[in-house]
Amino acid sequence: MFIIEAQKVCKIFNKREEITAIENFSLKVRENEFVSIIGPSGCGKSTFLLLAAGLESITSGQIFINGSKINGPDPKRAIVFQEYLLFPWKTVRKNVEFGPLVRKVMKAERRKISDKYIKMVGLEGFEDRYPHELSGGMKQRVAIARALANEPEVLFMDEPFGSLDSLTREMLQSELLQIWTEAKCTVIFVTHSISEAVYLSDRVVVMSRRPGRIIADIRINLKRPRLREMLSTPEFSEYERKIREFVWAQV
Amino acid sequence: MRILSEFNFKKIISPLFILIVCEIIGRTRLIDPFFFPPPSAIFKSLWQMTITGEIFPHIAISVLRAVTGYIIAAAAGLFLGILVAGSKLFENIFDPLIELIRPISTFAIVPVMFVWFGIGNGSKIAIIVKACFFPIVLNTIAGIKGVDLRLIQAARSLGANGRQLWTMVLIPSALPMIITGMRISTAMSMLAIVGVEMLAADSGIGFLVIDAQRTFATDRMFAGIIVISLMGVTFDKIARFVQQRILSWHTDTSLAGTSA
Repeated sequence: MFIIEAQKVCKIFNKREEITAIENFSLKVRENEFVSIIGPSGCGKSTFLLLAAGLESITSGQIFINGSKINGPDPKRAIVFQEYLLFPWKTVRKNVEFGPLVRKVMKAERRKISDKYIKMVGLEGFEDRYPHELSGGMKQRVAIARALANEPEVLFMDEPFGSLDSLTREMLQSELLQIWTEAKCTVIFVTHSISEAVYLSDRVVVMSRRPGRIIADIRINLKRPRLREMLSTPEFSEYERKIREFVWAQV
Repeated sequence: MRILSEFNFKKIISPLFILIVCEIIGRTRLIDPFFFPPPSAIFKSLWQMTITGEIFPHIAISVLRAVTGYIIAAAAGLFLGILVAGSKLFENIFDPLIELIRPISTFAIVPVMFVWFGIGNGSKIAIIVKACFFPIVLNTIAGIKGVDLRLIQAARSLGANGRQLWTMVLIPSALPMIITGMRISTAMSMLAIVGVEMLAADSGIGFLVIDAQRTFATDRMFAGIIVISLMGVTFDKIARFVQQRILSWHTDTSLAGTSA
């Protein structure tokens, strides 16, 4: 049983000219799997996430989540963006409680949820801060907590650490793995970084240039929990090398 | 005492200097006091108007007209702004109208308003509405249309639907611009009320000034102008206070020079 099943998905944007963002894109993801999508800029990685999250309409083909065809956004599928996109007029707590609030969860229950996820992302003590008072890394933690507050089955992440400095980025990678284990959900993670993809994922999927489709699907058989030391092992480097070959063939 | 110690005395140097110079010019009759009454005479006349209570009905009626017009303009501006920003159909219907009427000077429509609403309060309020409406409606439209599409996507992915998107994302997000429009309009309302009261009125602060001029009571005239200035400052202070209250997150952001 696959939690995500994309079948021959095609997306054509009709702005000034027709642009085929992705074509013949098929992907199957198992429950609780951590899958990274990697590929050259503009290959349609983010487009696939928007389609799967139900935020854009599919031109042809279909995407099934848990066996049912997607039809618009659903709180069971959360998305985290590179630009955080927090609500600047809301405190950390109110940001995290946004999902439960629009789902009309009662106040006491909302509070419990926000407590849980703010703790999970390590932001206790910052509940009443506003986004502009936080660093980039902290903002992204809030965005992750906000996404998890809906207790999603699938978490889509669109280059979530792309605008962070490398140290913060490494910290958040490790924390994300921790969070993923705790929150028990399927993660589809779009990134530009090969080592990030290998370090985090069960599978790394490489996309072609636009129109994007999948050209390689590599299982990462490194044991979990993943430790930072693994980055310097020969196996790790071998995965990196293999993926880099596929990626470079595209640029 | 605390307030006194925090008061920035440097800020009163320039007004004080001007007052002293004016006083000297007036007292020494360097310029005929008829044209240039010394501040002491102006304040005396202001004091007179205050203790006789003569000034208050004028202030009250001006404020009443301004506030009534402002509230009508704000309600209409917000409503129409949301309508135009929210629907292509309404945009196509109202946009040309807004663009045609907006550039017309408020005072150009004064004769029309007198013909339509008489020279009573009706026409004056209508003119205030004209002056205040456009900054509010235009800022509301621009504010809502300027909301980051990605922020809307984020909200939708979290489960927000049509009405929730409006009340919980679009309007709060546009609020800084909307409030700015509303603040600009408070100044507009003061400009318009004084002007129109000078044209045709038998009450109000604008009338007081023009009436003083007609009866050659120049000290009263200047006293009236001081009252107008104080009213303007008060209006703006109230507007700023409200703005800071509602938008603490935003003013902090702007001051810090970063955008969230």
